[in-house]
Amino acid sequence: MLPAAKSSFKVRQQEPGAGPRGPKFSNAKRNRPCQAFPGIPGEFVLEAAPGVRRSLGASLRFDSIPGTLFCTNRRVAFVPDVPPGAKAHPRCSFLHSEYDVALPCIGKLVAASSVSKAKVLTASSSLKFMPEELVLYCRDFRVLHFRFPESGLEPGAFRVTMAIARAQESDRDVAAWSDSTQLRNLENAQRSPEEEGEEDPAPTLLFKSLQDWEQELRRLGPAGWRVSVANERFDMATSLPRYLWVPGQLLDNELKRAFAHFNQRRIPRLCWRHPGGSDLLRAASFHAASDPEKEDTRAVEALLLAGHARCVVVDTVADLPSSTEIQLAHVRLRTLCSPDPAVADEKWLSALEGTHWLDHVRACVRKASDVAVLLAERRCSVVLQESDDRDLNCLVASLVQLLADPHARTQLGFQNLVQREWVAAGHPFAQRLNLCRDGDRGEAPVFQLFLDCAWQLLRQFPAAFAFTEAYLLALHDSSYVPFFSTFLFSCQWERSRGGQHRASSQLYTPVNGWRDAANLEILPQAPVGGGACLPPVWAWALHYSAQQRAQFQNPIYTRASDGHMAPPGCSKLKATLSETGAVFLLARGGLAPQPHLFPWKNGSLVKKGPWRVPSSDSLNDQWGWPSSCPALPGAVLVPACTGSAIQLWRRCYLRGSPERQRGLFPAMLTDLTEELELLQECLNDGHWRATSPPSPAESEEAGSPLSPSR
Amino acid sequence: MLSKAAGGRPAKPSFVSYVSPEEIHIKEPAGKEVNPYLLPGELLLCEASTVFKYVQEDGSNRGTYGKLVCTNFKVAFLGYESASDDNEPQFKNKVIGENDITLHCIDQIYGVYDEKKKSLYGQLKKYPEKLIIYSKDFRVFHFCLRCTKEEEVKRIVSGIVHHSQTPKLLKRLFLFSYASAAPNSPDAKNRTVMFDTFKDWHEELERTKGNVKYEVVSVNEGYRVSEKLPLYFVVPKPFLKSVTESILVHQGRGIPIWCWSCHNGAALLKMSPFPKEQDDSALQMPKLMDGIYKTIHAPPYEVLKMDDLSSSLPSLQDIQTAYTRFKQLFLIDNSAHFWDTDVKWFSLLESTNWLEIIRRCLKKAIEVVEQLERQTTNVLLIEENASDLCCVISSLVQVMMDSYCRTKFGFQSLIQKEWVIGGHSFLDRSNHLRKSDKEEAPVFLLFLDCVWQLVQQYPPAFEFTETYLTVLSDSLYIPIFSTFFFNSQHQKDTIMSGESHNAQSSPFRLLTVWDWSVQFEPKAQALLNNPLYAEKPKPDKSQRKTTRFKHHRQLSLPLTQTKSSPKRGFFREETDHLIKNILGKRISKLINSSEELHSNFREFYDSWHCKPVDFHGLLLPHIEGPEIKVWTQRYLRWIPEAQLLGGGTVAITAKFLDVMEEVQKLQKQMDEEHSQTAAEDADAVPTLRNSARLSSLFPFALLQRHSLKPVLPTSTWKDLEDEEDLAKRDDEFVDLSGAD
Repeated sequence: MLPAAKSSFKVRQQEPGAGPRGPKFSNAKRNRPCQAFPGIPGEFVLEAAPGVRRSLGASLRFDSIPGTLFCTNRRVAFVPDVPPGAKAHPRCSFLHSEYDVALPCIGKLVAASSVSKAKVLTASSSLKFMPEELVLYCRDFRVLHFRFPESGLEPGAFRVTMAIARAQESDRDVAAWSDSTQLRNLENAQRSPEEEGEEDPAPTLLFKSLQDWEQELRRLGPAGWRVSVANERFDMATSLPRYLWVPGQLLDNELKRAFAHFNQRRIPRLCWRHPGGSDLLRAASFHAASDPEKEDTRAVEALLLAGHARCVVVDTVADLPSSTEIQLAHVRLRTLCSPDPAVADEKWLSALEGTHWLDHVRACVRKASDVAVLLAERRCSVVLQESDDRDLNCLVASLVQLLADPHARTQLGFQNLVQREWVAAGHPFAQRLNLCRDGDRGEAPVFQLFLDCAWQLLRQFPAAFAFTEAYLLALHDSSYVPFFSTFLFSCQWERSRGGQHRASSQLYTPVNGWRDAANLEILPQAPVGGGACLPPVWAWALHYSAQQRAQFQNPIYTRASDGHMAPPGCSKLKATLSETGAVFLLARGGLAPQPHLFPWKNGSLVKKGPWRVPSSDSLNDQWGWPSSCPALPGAVLVPACTGSAIQLWRRCYLRGSPERQRGLFPAMLTDLTEELELLQECLNDGHWRATSPPSPAESEEAGSPLSPSR
Repeated sequence: MLSKAAGGRPAKPSFVSYVSPEEIHIKEPAGKEVNPYLLPGELLLCEASTVFKYVQEDGSNRGTYGKLVCTNFKVAFLGYESASDDNEPQFKNKVIGENDITLHCIDQIYGVYDEKKKSLYGQLKKYPEKLIIYSKDFRVFHFCLRCTKEEEVKRIVSGIVHHSQTPKLLKRLFLFSYASAAPNSPDAKNRTVMFDTFKDWHEELERTKGNVKYEVVSVNEGYRVSEKLPLYFVVPKPFLKSVTESILVHQGRGIPIWCWSCHNGAALLKMSPFPKEQDDSALQMPKLMDGIYKTIHAPPYEVLKMDDLSSSLPSLQDIQTAYTRFKQLFLIDNSAHFWDTDVKWFSLLESTNWLEIIRRCLKKAIEVVEQLERQTTNVLLIEENASDLCCVISSLVQVMMDSYCRTKFGFQSLIQKEWVIGGHSFLDRSNHLRKSDKEEAPVFLLFLDCVWQLVQQYPPAFEFTETYLTVLSDSLYIPIFSTFFFNSQHQKDTIMSGESHNAQSSPFRLLTVWDWSVQFEPKAQALLNNPLYAEKPKPDKSQRKTTRFKHHRQLSLPLTQTKSSPKRGFFREETDHLIKNILGKRISKLINSSEELHSNFREFYDSWHCKPVDFHGLLLPHIEGPEIKVWTQRYLRWIPEAQLLGGGTVAITAKFLDVMEEVQKLQKQMDEEHSQTAAEDADAVPTLRNSARLSSLFPFALLQRHSLKPVLPTSTWKDLEDEEDLAKRDDEFVDLSGAD
C-alpha cells in the first residue's frame, strides 16, 4: 500500500520537472497567431496547433469548425476560432463538454494520412508520416475528428499529435489534483462561472455530514430507524460511510458486535423505506470466519429483520453478471459501436446480441423490478446481499429506488441517490473506472451499466422522470473526467483524506487486516470535507453551459401524486404477522424459505436446489394477482424486460458515427418549445394590439406546461 | 403449461368473472341468452355454448365461459357475463369486437389433443378438446371445449375450419352480401382521390406539374387494351400518338406508365416487360419500343434510367418466407413460450430476414430518389406485372419526396393510385379466397412497415400516426370494404356489373376503407391523427418560420455543389453516350452499374443526413442496422409482457396533447381578447386524460383492467402468508418442483 502511494508521489514530483517546458512552449506559441488558452490553474500547454478543423465525421462531407488544438498536461482541448467581428464566446474555463477530452478519457488515438495507412498511436510509438487527420476515440464513446489542412503548418500537426500520444500515457498523476494549492485555485475557477447563475435552491446532499443523513431519513419517515455514529471515525469499517441508518432499538454497543460477521465489516443498513412499511437494506455476505453457532447473533438478527417478521434476502449476485462479464460486454459494445470496423447492417442485431450488454441490462432491470414489487406488495425487510456490497448492490439498490420512489426520479433526488448508494456507500470508482490507469484488472463499468438501466427506465416511462437523457449522458461522460471527487475515490474515508492513501490494493482489505490501517491514525483533524477540495460532479455549472443544463429538465415530466403510496392489502397483512422471524431467499426468480434463520455456510447463504426455477421467466408466469387491485398511482413503475423493450442507448453509444446519430430525434421537445415561443410572441403581439395589459395569470399559464412543477 | 395449472393446485379465482373449468356446474347460463351482433347480410352458421375462453396472457387456467359462434363474416366469442364495463375502451372498432375474428383474419387453427398441438384442416376425424386460433392481427385465442356438448364441438370446429380455410368463390365474399343488405347510405364525400376517373388523373398530373410531358389516355376504356391496366393511365405524350394501336397486342406490356413527377421535371415510371418468349407478332415490338424510348430519352424528356426490380430486390417468395417466420415470433401461446423465444430475441429477429427486406426496400427507394432528385433522370421501374414491388418502391419514393403523400388524404390517394387502381393483386396476395398459397405475399404490409419506419423516425412529418397504419393493416382483413378485396379495377368492375345484373336490384355500393367512420367513432378517429404534425407553414403566418424553411429547402438541391456538379455532368454525358450506343439493342444495359450506383447513393445519403431535416421537403429514412426497428404497436400489441403501465410513447403523446390543448385554449383566449368578446367555455375534453397509467400498448391492449402485474408467482406468496412451520413447507416445495 505504501509503495503504491509513494510511486504516485514520485510521478507528481516529476511534474515540476516537466513544468519548465510548459512556459517555454507557450512562449514559442506566442509568436504564432493562435489564441491564448484559458487553462485551469496548474495546467500548462504542452503543444498547440492552429488551423485545425474539427469535423463531425470521418469524411470531408461533414461540416467542420476551424480552431486551435491544444494538448496540455490535463487534456486535449479544441478552441474554435472566433470569426472576426463576432463576439467572443465565453468559454467555460474548466472543461468544455463538447470540445475537450481529459487525458484519461482517451481510449485510442489514431493518426491517418493519405500516404500511409492509419496508425494507432501509443506513448512509445513513433510517427513516420505527417498526420492529416487525427481521431480520438474516447472512453465515453465520443469520437473526435481533427483534420490538419495543408497550410504549411504540418510540423505543428506532427508535434501536437506526438504530444497527445505521449500525454495519454503519462497521466497517472491524476491524484496530484488533490494538491492543495492547485485545488484552491480550482475552487476559485469554479466560483467564477457560478457567479453568473443563481445558486441551486436545494443543494445535493453529499452524505458527508450527519445532517444530510438525518434530513434524508426524515424524508423517508423515521419510524423505527436512526442514524448511528458508530463509524464516525471509520474505525468500524473503512469502506462504509461515517453514518449508518440502523434500526432504532439497536444500541451502538450491540451494533458494533455485528460488524465482524460481514465481509469488509459491511453490516446491513437501510437504503430506503417504502411508505407501505417495507424496508430495503443492503449488506455484504457473511464473513467466512463468523460462526452463528458459537457467537451471539442477536444483533445480526435484529439488523436483518429490522423489526419485521419476515426478511427476504436477495442474492444480488445470482442472475446478474459479474464485474468481469460487465467489462467484457462493455468492451465488445465499444467495438461494435465504433464506426470503423462497421458491422454489416444485416448482421447488426446478432452482433448486438453477441455483446451481451443488453442481456446484462435486462437482468439488472428485471432484478430491480422484482425487488421493487416485493417491497410494494409486502411488509418485510428486503436485504440485498452481495459478497462485498460494493458493486451490484449499489446498482440494484438505486434502481429499485428509481422504480419505487418518485423522489428519486427528480434530478435532486437522483443526485442524492447516487451520492448515497454509490459514493458514500463506497463503490470503488477508482478501480472500476480506472481513471488513473493503475492496471486494468478491476476495471468494470458498473456505474455505466446503472446509467444504462436508468436510461431504459427513462425511455420506458418518459413522463415519470424529471430529468432527461441529456442529463444521464452528461453524468455518463463526467464519470470519465478525473476532476471530480465523486469518481476519483473509492470510499468516503479515502475521499476525506484527499486521496493521499489512494491505492487500489487498499480497497479489499480483509477484515482482519483492517485494524492495522486504523492504527495508523489516519483521520485528518480538519473539518469534514476539508481534505477533498475537488468539486463533486454535481457542480454542473463547471462544465455544462446554462443552455446545456436547461436540457436536463424534462418538459413532459408529470409529477407523480404522492400520498397514494400505501399498497392495498398491506393492512390485511399486518394481522397475519407472526412473532417468529422467517427468512426467505429470492434468487433465480423464485422465493425459497430458509429453514434456519441464518443458514450460512462458507460465507454465503445455502442456495436451495429444488426450488430453483429453470429459467427466470417463471417470475412473470402464472401470477394470480387480483385484478381488482388498482394500480398504485405514481408508485412503482413496472418496467418491461422483454427483448424488444430493452434497447440500445443509441445517443450514448452511437455517438461516434454522426450518420447514425443524426436521426435521433430530440423527442419533438424542440417543436413544443417552439410552439410555445411562438405563442408567447403572439401574446405579446396581441397585447400590443389590444392595448390591454397582459394578465399575469395568462402569461404564467403559457409557461406552465414547461415548468416541471405543474 | 396449461395442463400444469389445471392439474396442480386449483388457482384461487381472483376475479369475479373468471372461473376455472372445474367450477363448471355453477356457470350454466340460466336462461340468459347471448346473441351475437350481426351485421347486415351476416348469417349465423353454427354455434356452441359453454365454451371456456382462457385469458390469453398468462397461460393459467383463468378465463370466462361463453358462446362461440361462427357466421359468414366472423368467428365470435360471446361471454355469458356481459362485461358490464365501467370503463368502455376509448378505442373501439364498431365492426370488429374485442372477441371477434373475421374469417379472413384467421391465420392458423390448432387443436389440442392430449396435450399435443395439431394444425386443423380439411375433414376432421377426431375433435380436439382445445381450440387455438391465431389471427392475422396477432391475437391468439384459446378455447376449451371440454364442457361443450360433443355435437356442438363437432359443428363449431368443423364449421370454423371449413369456413375459414376452404377455397371460396369471389362472389361468395361477405362483401357482396353486406353490400346488398346494407342500406344504401349516401356516398359521403371523401377527400381521398380514388383515381377511377379521367379527371382524377388529370388533376394529379397538374398537381405534380407533369402535364407538360405526360398525358392521360383513355385507350383502356372498356378494358380494351388490358385487364391489368386501369381505365385511365398516364403515358409520355409522344408515346400516345405513335403507338396507341400496337400496344393493344401486348396487353399493356412495354408501356412506360407514369407514376409521379418530381419538382424538377424528372418522372417516375413503371412498366411490365415483354414476355421472354416472344411470338412472331411480337418481334417487331422491340424495334417499335426503341423508337419510343429514343423519343422519351431526348429533350424535353430527361435521361431515362431503368431499374429491374426483380433483380435488385427480394422475390415475393422471399418476402412471404420472411414474414411467415417473423410473425411466428409474435404469435405467442403463453408466457413461458414468450420468454423462451425472448432470450434470443435479436438473433431470432435477424434470422427472419424481415427487417433486412425492409431495409433493402428503403434503400432501393433512396436510390431512386437520388436519381430523380439529384441526377434529374427519369426512372423506369420494371417488374413482371409492375404491380408488386413497383408499387412498394414507387409509393415509398412518393412518400419520401412529396409531402402531400404524408398527409392523411394524400397517403390514401397514393394507395388508391399505386395499389388499388394500380392493380396490386390484393385478393391473391392476401389469399383471401384461400385458393393458392403460392400467390400469397404480404407486399402491402411490407410497404406499410416501410412507411412505419419513416413515421417513427420523423413523427412530425406525417399527418397520421402509427395507430393509423396499424388499423389500416387490420382493415386488410375486414371484408366489408372493397378496397383490399380485388385484384384489379377490372375484376371489381366485372363482378359488380355481373352482380347488379343478376340481382336485378338497384346497384349497390361497396364501401371503401377510407371512410373511417364505418369503423370508428369520431373520438377514436382522433387517435389516427398526429397532433404533432408540423403543418406546412402558411406564407403569411410567421416571418421567422418561413425564412427558416427557405433555408431548409436548399436541402432538396444538390448539396456539395462544387464537388458534385462536375461529376454529375460527367456522369450524364457518359450515360448519354451509353444510351446512344446501346439503345435498340438491349435495354438492360441501361441499368446502372452497381458500384456507380452505390457511391452515388452513399454520397447522397450521407450529405442529406448531415443537414437538419425539413419535414416538408425530402425525407430520407435511416437504414443502418440500429435504425430499422420492429413495429411494436402492430406486432407486440397483445403481448402483456411488452406492456408498460404509464409508459411508452403514449405517455409522451398524452402530455403533448395536454400542452397542445392548453396552447389552443390560450390561442382562443387571445382571439377573444382581440375581438373583445367575453364568451368563455374551456370545456374541451382532452383525448387522453388520466394518461399517467395508460398502457404503452394503448389503444390496443386488452388488458387495461389488470392493472398492476405482480412479478412474483402467487403460489410463493401463499407460502409467505401461511404461518406453518418451515420444515413441512420445505418438503412441499420439493414436491412442487417435481411437478414442474
